[in-house]
Amino acid sequence: MDQAYLLQFAGSLAAVALLAAAAFWARIPRPTQPLTDSAARAFIEDELPDQVLERVWIDAAGDTAVGKAGDMGVVLFRVGDSYAVRTAPWAQVKAARCAKAVAVIRFDDPACPMAAFQLAEAKAPFA
Amino acid sequence: MIDLPFDPIRAAIPLFVLAVLLEIGVARAGRSKVVYEGRDAATSLVMGLGNTLQSALMLGLIVASMLFVHSHALFDIPLGAWWAWVVVFFLDDLIFYGVHRISHERRIWWASHVNHHSSQHFNLTTALRQPWTGLIVGTWTPWLLLIWIGFPPEMIIVQNGVSLVYQFWIHTEAIGTMPRWFEAVFNTPSHHRVHHARNPRYLDANYAGILIIWDRLFGTFIAERADDPCRYGIVRNLGGFNILRVAFHEWIAIFQDIARAPRHAVGYLFGPPGWSPDGSRETSATIKAKWRARTEREERPAQAA
Repeated sequence: MDQAYLLQFAGSLAAVALLAAAAFWARIPRPTQPLTDSAARAFIEDELPDQVLERVWIDAAGDTAVGKAGDMGVVLFRVGDSYAVRTAPWAQVKAARCAKAVAVIRFDDPACPMAAFQLAEAKAPFA
Repeated sequence: MIDLPFDPIRAAIPLFVLAVLLEIGVARAGRSKVVYEGRDAATSLVMGLGNTLQSALMLGLIVASMLFVHSHALFDIPLGAWWAWVVVFFLDDLIFYGVHRISHERRIWWASHVNHHSSQHFNLTTALRQPWTGLIVGTWTPWLLLIWIGFPPEMIIVQNGVSLVYQFWIHTEAIGTMPRWFEAVFNTPSHHRVHHARNPRYLDANYAGILIIWDRLFGTFIAERADDPCRYGIVRNLGGFNILRVAFHEWIAIFQDIARAPRHAVGYLFGPPGWSPDGSRETSATIKAKWRARTEREERPAQAA
């Protein structure tokens, strides 16, 4: 790589740092409220209209919701100021590993390997 | 080597920076509905930076291919021929439409292009969220056809740059709609919001680069609707901002699928995104079909009443 390219790359790197700093400084994310039962249901219904939820659990932080739809589990969780949704067999969701008041739900998906569910008390979640 | 008479991308970089700062400033002043999430914007910007590295690494191969093909060209079209610039403007844009469409409709190319769509935001940094593997999967090769016809490589590179620079400003929610005649002919923020939307109604639409006429001609045009606001991102959004996951998640998924069922490798590579041998996954077509059926079911009782 020649010197001109390295200079140009260094300039681009500086520009990226400046713009990222401006984006963090501006604090203009999408307004998001902690999840409630009805908000989580509405969101999941919009994302996965075929799933009929029997029950929904909201985590202590209001960032993650877990729904049971027959043999399937539906997990809605916060990503920045937005949300992502994944499904997994209910048995897999229920088997979430719990440590330090957090249940970690694993998915077989390279785009989203896990979601965290904050527990309010030290007992098995989704019972 | 190829000496460009003018490098539109290099010339536009300061404008890109100023435009992003302006968009952030206007949004912070409460004068537009644009939203920025710091980590999302940083991810987009780093993806853009990585894309320039990819270009640098592939540059030698691309230039050598262009020069080789040009040495076997059918005609010798001079760089200074004004009519050639007009023709190349349309042909370049048509090729962009085709490459862009296949990048959405076939998984091997979607694995690269998905990077550009994985933000749940639609602002000017989204324009810079460029793939790291696009050149590796050969998205540049169709332009060799123009060089084989006889258009100079310099002309193709400049026009490609013009197209890329044009497509920067259409990644914004700060602009509603342009005048009607402009919306009819050119790609605009409104048309491109639809392209980035994940609402079932809007999937796989508006592939245009500069001219929206190709979508209107080939039946892929969908207009933005006030009663169905665009929700951005991909059908199953990413679970975080890990840059390597953003860049390579779909490639990893393809390799996992092929490792599990090697005899379906062709389907997993060249089928539409979401294709599976047993049809258990959803493609854009099945998502749209289900949405249409649902909408018709909901509209029927309303009409009966």
